[in-house]
Amino acid sequence: MTKKITLLLFLLATTIGFSQNQITGEITDNDGIPLGGVNVLLLHSSEGIISDFDGKYSIEATSRDTLEFSFMGFRTQRIAVKDQTIIDVVLAEDASQLNEVVVTALGIKKEKKALGYAVQEVGGQKLEKAKEPNFVNSLTGRVAGLNIKNSTDLFQDPQISLRGSSPLLVIDGIPDRTTDLWKVNSDDIESISVLKGATASALYGSVGRNGAIMITTKKGKKGKFTVTVNNSTMFQPSFIKVPDVQTTYGNGNQGVYAYVNGSGSGTEGGGWIWGPRLDQLDPSTPSGYFETPQYNSEVDPDTGKLIPLPYISRGANNIENFFRTGIIQTNNVSVDWGSEKASFRTSISNVYQKGIVPNTDLNNTSFSLGGSLNPSENLFINSSLTYNKQYTDNFPEVGYGPTNYLYNLVLWTGVDVDIRDLRNYWREGEVGYQQRHFNISYYNNPYFQAYEYQRGYNKDNVFGNLNLEYKLTPHLSLKGRAGTNVYSLNRTYKEPKSYIGYGDRSRGDFTVVDATYFDITTDFGLKYENQIADKIGVSGELAYVNYYRKSTSHSTATDGLNIPGFYNLDNNAGVTFIAINREEKETIHSFYGFVDFDFYDTFYLSLSGRNDKVSTLPEANNSFFYPSISGSLVFTELLNTPDWLTFGKIRGSWSQVSEGKIGNNPYNHIQAYEKGTSWNGTPSTYFGNELLSSDLKPETSDTWEVGLNARFLNSRLGIDVAYYQTKDYNNLIYSSISQSSGYNSILLNGDEYKRKGIEVVLDANPIRTKDFRWDTQINLSQYRKYQEEIYGDREQTDGFIRVGDRTDKIYAGVYQTNEDGQVIFENGYPVSDPYSRFIGYDEPDLTYGISNTLSYKNVSLSFLFDGRLGGLMYSTTNQKMWWGGTSPGTVNQYRDDANKGESTFVGNGVKVVGGSVTYDVSGNILNDTRTYAPNDVPVNYINFMQTTSNGYNKNYHYYKEDFIKLRELTLSYNFTEKLLSKLPFDNLSLSFIGRNLWLSSKIPNVDPDPGRDNLQAPATRSIGINLNAKF
Amino acid sequence: MKRIISIIALFILSFYFNACSKIEDLQEDPNRATSVSPELLLTNIETKAFNNVSLSSALASRYLSYTNGVNSNQYYNWQRSGFGKYDDLKQVKKMMEESENAGIEVYQILGRFFNSYFIVDLTRTFGDVPYTEAVLATEAIYQPVYDSQKSIYLRVLDDLKSASDDLAENDEPIVGDVVFKGNKLQWRKLINAYYLRVLMSLSNKTGDSDLNIKSRFQEIINNPSQYPLMTSNSDNGALNYFNIQDNRYPYFNDNDLQTAYYMEQNFVDKLKDFEDPRLFSFAEPKPKAANADANDFESYGGLKGSEDLNINTSKAVAGEASRIAERYFFDPVNEPSILMSYWEQEFIIAEAAVRSWISVDAETHYRNGVVASFDFFNTKIPDDYFDNNLIDLNTGNEIQKILEQKYISMFMNTGWQIFFEQRRTGFPEFNTDGAVILNNGRIPKRWMYPMDEATNNGKNLEEAINRQFSEGDDINAQMWLLN
Repeated sequence: MTKKITLLLFLLATTIGFSQNQITGEITDNDGIPLGGVNVLLLHSSEGIISDFDGKYSIEATSRDTLEFSFMGFRTQRIAVKDQTIIDVVLAEDASQLNEVVVTALGIKKEKKALGYAVQEVGGQKLEKAKEPNFVNSLTGRVAGLNIKNSTDLFQDPQISLRGSSPLLVIDGIPDRTTDLWKVNSDDIESISVLKGATASALYGSVGRNGAIMITTKKGKKGKFTVTVNNSTMFQPSFIKVPDVQTTYGNGNQGVYAYVNGSGSGTEGGGWIWGPRLDQLDPSTPSGYFETPQYNSEVDPDTGKLIPLPYISRGANNIENFFRTGIIQTNNVSVDWGSEKASFRTSISNVYQKGIVPNTDLNNTSFSLGGSLNPSENLFINSSLTYNKQYTDNFPEVGYGPTNYLYNLVLWTGVDVDIRDLRNYWREGEVGYQQRHFNISYYNNPYFQAYEYQRGYNKDNVFGNLNLEYKLTPHLSLKGRAGTNVYSLNRTYKEPKSYIGYGDRSRGDFTVVDATYFDITTDFGLKYENQIADKIGVSGELAYVNYYRKSTSHSTATDGLNIPGFYNLDNNAGVTFIAINREEKETIHSFYGFVDFDFYDTFYLSLSGRNDKVSTLPEANNSFFYPSISGSLVFTELLNTPDWLTFGKIRGSWSQVSEGKIGNNPYNHIQAYEKGTSWNGTPSTYFGNELLSSDLKPETSDTWEVGLNARFLNSRLGIDVAYYQTKDYNNLIYSSISQSSGYNSILLNGDEYKRKGIEVVLDANPIRTKDFRWDTQINLSQYRKYQEEIYGDREQTDGFIRVGDRTDKIYAGVYQTNEDGQVIFENGYPVSDPYSRFIGYDEPDLTYGISNTLSYKNVSLSFLFDGRLGGLMYSTTNQKMWWGGTSPGTVNQYRDDANKGESTFVGNGVKVVGGSVTYDVSGNILNDTRTYAPNDVPVNYINFMQTTSNGYNKNYHYYKEDFIKLRELTLSYNFTEKLLSKLPFDNLSLSFIGRNLWLSSKIPNVDPDPGRDNLQAPATRSIGINLNAKF
Repeated sequence: MKRIISIIALFILSFYFNACSKIEDLQEDPNRATSVSPELLLTNIETKAFNNVSLSSALASRYLSYTNGVNSNQYYNWQRSGFGKYDDLKQVKKMMEESENAGIEVYQILGRFFNSYFIVDLTRTFGDVPYTEAVLATEAIYQPVYDSQKSIYLRVLDDLKSASDDLAENDEPIVGDVVFKGNKLQWRKLINAYYLRVLMSLSNKTGDSDLNIKSRFQEIINNPSQYPLMTSNSDNGALNYFNIQDNRYPYFNDNDLQTAYYMEQNFVDKLKDFEDPRLFSFAEPKPKAANADANDFESYGGLKGSEDLNINTSKAVAGEASRIAERYFFDPVNEPSILMSYWEQEFIIAEAAVRSWISVDAETHYRNGVVASFDFFNTKIPDDYFDNNLIDLNTGNEIQKILEQKYISMFMNTGWQIFFEQRRTGFPEFNTDGAVILNNGRIPKRWMYPMDEATNNGKNLEEAINRQFSEGDDINAQMWLLN
């Protein structure tokens, strides 16, 4: 390959006919520190190189050539070669990266200093090495105000919130309303720009109300023809958090366990893990241990009874034994080339993820093409197209219940059962009909689940865009853009006979779901740009946009299967299929425009307006206008500021954005009948529980934001602070009404919220010497939402929130307590409080991320810590462990006593010995004459836990969410020029990479990162290698 | 320039996709209908009203005991119930509206019956509840006032009577009827029988001249041609289950029912005392007696509802307790669910005769009821069944005996009816004397109002509570019906 290129270059060079000289030199900054990585480009050619770590470069050029030196944060310089052979260059720092441009709404590039709102960028190189299965996970901790809660489960979206709301995803200027986080391969990402507030993204209209994550994909670059190969292979060999289950007691109830037939009844103990002590010595048995019939007991041919087996903790390592080492492997090959007239890039990527659960995986393949044409001075065209396929034959079900393998593996299997003995998962003589497990009423054999219960997923995505700009006059251009998102999705659910769902033993089922999606966004308008006076510029656009979406879905399911394991709809055992289909269409017709002014590189002002007409509201109120204004002032240009202040800017903005869509269903503004259950073929309908107000209007958010951006000490220290407040009003809410009115709620415009928050980004370059450099960035943010108004004359919302309260207050069903906070017991059990009570807040007080890069010569080390402080999360895993008997905290004397049938446990609290209490309708105590004595009623410990889950001791299983995580660690070595010269590469780097390496948190057994726990998969640690080569 | 034009043409072409997307064309939902014929609503209402098999009521009525934790239905420490039935009332209102729109009367008549059925269910649960202003959200009444229980019953009695009268006159077909398949005579029988049930539920109010319980009761019994009554089990207001998705017996394949529910001891003992072979139809022999004769009463045992959970679980684990018969969790069809049965009607008439409201032979109707129940459970009634002193109506304690037979006959059917019968009469006796009985050994008299009423309709709720119960919204408070 390289040979070919060299040859090509050689031929090219000879045709020019000027003698080639080897030009060398050193590039340094003002302080004489060498600058590595500077782009050195031969103007008007495709040739270019990059300076090495010592700032040295070497390039062939003729005396008529001009060299261009460019480097991020520095002013670009052009030097004519003439007769020089050594050209040393001192690049001047571009004060505070003044001219750095960022991608803003609609893909418009703007100078950072001109922005009146907060935008934070993450370069694609940050996503290049340590890979996550999707690019959004990689943004964790890197953007202040963007809170990403990563799921530990395979192929599950992280929860993304930007300033407390769900942002819009935009790919190359085209909104992706499907918010498919998996369809863009991180190797194709040039940069990600996070527009944090509504002002920043207001031009997108209603979908941009909550800010936007803008992805710019890589395009062909001007310069030489480059092939890049990037491979990351990561293994998940261990856990950073895994439920810690007790290994002292086994299956059963009240200390009794004897397998009968797997139904769970009688001596099998109802599926509890409150059985006898394991590993009890019993000299009277053949094994020397206590023995009891178990599921794998053999039948005594003489008596027909099960032969008891020793009841020992052979399954102590069930979790380690069941899970396997996961793999995430990412491969990308891309080719790019560009000249002054055209550029082109194509890439192919594949991400393969092998799940930690046997027989689960995920494949994600993308092909992408992108390029630009500049055929004449006046015309500029670019476009890109990506095909992406996500496919798996099986990925695990999540959420609490028998369909989650963790339910069967961690919560509801005593360690008397060894998972390895379950690998053969059919009952003898009943293959295809009956799984083999110690309990076949409540639980699934995890291997049976992994190999027989299959959830297939196959999604084909196509998305792309076409942009054109034609200069009508030097100041006025015609602009157009069309972008589309298309997908087809096929999902299958194969459910074997005897599979256990909640309260249901499957008769075998097969479900097929097909969905299609098409949307197109077309913009067409005029762009004006003029320098109306010296250092006074004006620019603006006026455009019409049309958005249209059509999606369909169709699901068909069998009602039982005839032939086991044959998954075809033809194999339906029922009289009819269970089938449903949907079709949705929606459209938005809009006009928008903006105008930007800049004065003397000092003062910037931007105004915008947009009018939407939507199909998702009744026609009377479906057209609405909203404006925004923003400005910034570079005060360091205006005032005489001290030397240590390199750059300073204040900014401010205000915007209004309205949205005219009610939830995801475009027909939510239409009141209609729903299909009910057919009875023996007789159809039925019913009327829903939500009444619609006849006068629905769009909902609106007003946001103002102020910010300060300052850089100190020659830009080596920088701070960016943003403070914002949003008022959400006319909210389309389902305001609950008395159920006796016939409806649970009425959809109307009401309630008002205030959202506010602060974001701080600090960056510093504390050390910079010839060989060593340390860069660090700290992101901090806090966000709050308050209830400002409640619709109607209600004192509180359904969630018990009152005016002025934070909306993330958690109310929970609790036990009654006395005025000292002691739990009140009756007959030894805590007494439920008939009213829900406040127990804490959901949102964290602080979300933080700290990233560091240390580089020494060709070696660099970067690491990222992030986490959250404050906030509570409910943990299903912990609650069920106390309830079911697997929590290590249940290993105690009371439990042994209960196993002997003795009631010895006395809950910590009081009992009522006299008096009474009365409440008002809201649960406030009106009159309380109760007198108390310490609770002294002993109860059976097992019954107590089965009734209370120890909730009164564990804050009702709402745990502190605080954590710190070592999110990423990368140690990279860039091969030196010297070594490379012997290798067929222009650039080669090798990195050792790790993600999710270490966690410290307050909540036991689960990873607080996902922000919720409805029985989550154990959190894995990923380590591996990345190899990146360019040639 | 040509090239530019063609590029612009490209864009105009892409608008073509959108041309078909006129906003006014997208104001209809292709997935749902905005108006329907009333029979589609009738089917749904029937499956709500008649589908009432409930394990909660089986625990509260001491048919079964639960071992996976302290269950509030079993231990009588429940707190609130819900207003979900108002949704059913809204479906009835919609059916009546669509019926009126279509110019049909018959669904409006049936609507009066269903309204009565659902509101009685609500008022007997809580006490005063909204009725006159209920289900009027479409007319902007979001906070309905509470009606007194007495006024609700008065309206119910009038509505049922007029429904029966009007149905006798009506000649329109009833479509979408999955209960009686459009048989209007059977509908009249059900409405009349249900009218008798409501009258009997007011047995504490015989002195109330507004209600006129006795004469209303007599009016039905004395005019069989105008007010026909059920004559056999084939007239039962029953919903059959089918082996079709969502049409199966509600506890089909239920894991809890087969592992964590056991027969209640006092109920089993009663059947043993009565030497009542219906026990063999209700339950399985206990594991400890697995090889014994399934037709031997000694093969059966139970767990006492009010007993310490610890003792119950130990007994269950030791194999001392019988499970419910397998068909309740293995048969997708099993028995139908019953809104009101022929045997219940016969027990009501027998009780009315004993109370001297009417002059018919109590014994005949009592026996009719018992025989019909044996028939329903496919059990042959022993020839000497009525010779037992505990059963023979002639040896006194007639009300208790009638109610005890009603109790046995309502095993896993007729929803919560037996619980309310017990509340009214004190029979049968539900044990509260176990080691761990919550609620201070009392059987609750009602449920607290739903929590969200305090938020959404607080003023009216508070007023209703204050005028009814001096102790506040309490499960042990006595409502008008029971005074």
